[in-house]
Amino acid sequence: MRSNNVSYLVKKGVSSVWKNFVMSFASFSILLVSLLQISVVVLFIMNANIIMGNIEDTNQIAIFVEDNENETKEQHEKKVEHIRDVLTANKNLTDVKYVSKEEAAEKWSQSMSGEYGNLINMVPGGNPMPETFTARVTDVKTIRFIVTEIESIEGVEQVNAPYDFANALINIRDAFTVIIFAMLGILIIVSIVVISNTIRTSVFARRNEISIMKYVGATNGFIKLPFFVEGCFVGILAGAASWGLSCFIYSSVFSLFTDNITLWQMFGFFNLIPLDSIRWILLLANCAAGALLGAAGTLISMNKYLKV
Amino acid sequence: MVDMKNVNVHYSSGVDALVDIDLHVNDGEFVFIVGGNGAGKSTLMKLMMREISPSSGRVFVNGRNLGTLKGNKIAMFRRSIGVVFQEFRLIQDYTVYENVAYALRVADSSAKTIRQRVPYVLNLVEMGSKARQKVKELSGGEQQRVAIARALANDPGLLIVDEPTGNLDPKHSYELVGLLKEINRCGTTVIMITHEHNLVRYFGGRIINLDKGSITFDETIGGSDYYEE
Repeated sequence: MRSNNVSYLVKKGVSSVWKNFVMSFASFSILLVSLLQISVVVLFIMNANIIMGNIEDTNQIAIFVEDNENETKEQHEKKVEHIRDVLTANKNLTDVKYVSKEEAAEKWSQSMSGEYGNLINMVPGGNPMPETFTARVTDVKTIRFIVTEIESIEGVEQVNAPYDFANALINIRDAFTVIIFAMLGILIIVSIVVISNTIRTSVFARRNEISIMKYVGATNGFIKLPFFVEGCFVGILAGAASWGLSCFIYSSVFSLFTDNITLWQMFGFFNLIPLDSIRWILLLANCAAGALLGAAGTLISMNKYLKV
Repeated sequence: MVDMKNVNVHYSSGVDALVDIDLHVNDGEFVFIVGGNGAGKSTLMKLMMREISPSSGRVFVNGRNLGTLKGNKIAMFRRSIGVVFQEFRLIQDYTVYENVAYALRVADSSAKTIRQRVPYVLNLVEMGSKARQKVKELSGGEQQRVAIARALANDPGLLIVDEPTGNLDPKHSYELVGLLKEINRCGTTVIMITHEHNLVRYFGGRIINLDKGSITFDETIGGSDYYEE
């Protein structure tokens, strides 16, 4: 197609938005509501994932080093070093820390109030605290597998892991994922149905125009192009408006959490994504989704009227 | 130009719209197709512009077997003919110029061709002075002239005109058919579908009468000078 005809069709598409203002506004409104809902849900999912990650990060496993009276100090140190190397090399673990018997006793003493802190020194046979490593699993779902793996390391006596906590987290996360994706899926399907129905009404009002174009020999592509441009344009406008509203809603919610940081910290909400870091990606995503939905809705709705 | 052999059109409603039609129209002819309501005139037109396909038989227009055309080839074929409808079928929001130019744009004409051709065909139908007006601001007769200009834009060898005077008063009807005769004299084959016998008798020429889907009369008659309102 010649450039003069392409630019003509693009101009026609953009000018049709104003010429068919009422129907364009209806499409714009429906797109705006749909995009805003999707945008808010996506922002919620993004932050919920961060919060879930924060909660997951609090999981900690304790690895007890075998206390063998028959081994020499050198042999014991070698054993501890071996365990440290294996744990550090494990990619499923983070924050691997060694806690010596003395450090453990010190911590215990500090945790006890007043004179009770000295009780540990009175235990017959010396310091009873175990020598341990602490670590966190990167994915709480794999905790059982990792514990079994660690238990097989030579020199490890026992591993304590917060299985109940992990199970609860896994269940919550799985349920959360199913609910959120089901909501998002339903929202997208409902949006597409509502959008294509609204645009169908708009296209129906112009069915005569489409049939005339067919009678004078226009190809389907030639007829679709201005409608496609019009759908994209309305979608981009709706995307931009949805972005503005999303930013407003998000910054309001964000300040609500950050203003009461001590309260929300308890629930792991202290690490929400700052708006500034996602502002422009959000604009791009809203406009792209708007253009896509607008164009797809238009093209789907048009096919019926192209069979002349 | 137009060649139909043993053409039948049977609608799913059970109606036999055309029955065993054999029709040949030569280059440069002016043919009136007449008949009452339900005679099959519109079906014949739909066949010639490949809006429908025959249930049986073959339809050739401009050397193309319309039964084999699909997708964009139908669009290409329609660019090679000009069609004028009773209800004009102009894009009401476009100007006169834009409506005519649209037919050239779909044929992917250059900007220069559009600039030259649109005023030429508009002047041919005496609508050059109204090029910038919106179609919806024009009278029925003027709109029909614009429709003819659009049909002529791509310089088609065949012009199919369906009841062009249906929405016009008698004076404008005679003027319009006079214009079509002029266009025919310049070499364009014209097939005009009408149920207005007065017009046919006045202008004369080849007359094909359809009745219940069959051709019952196909003769050439002389015109008369009797102007019947």
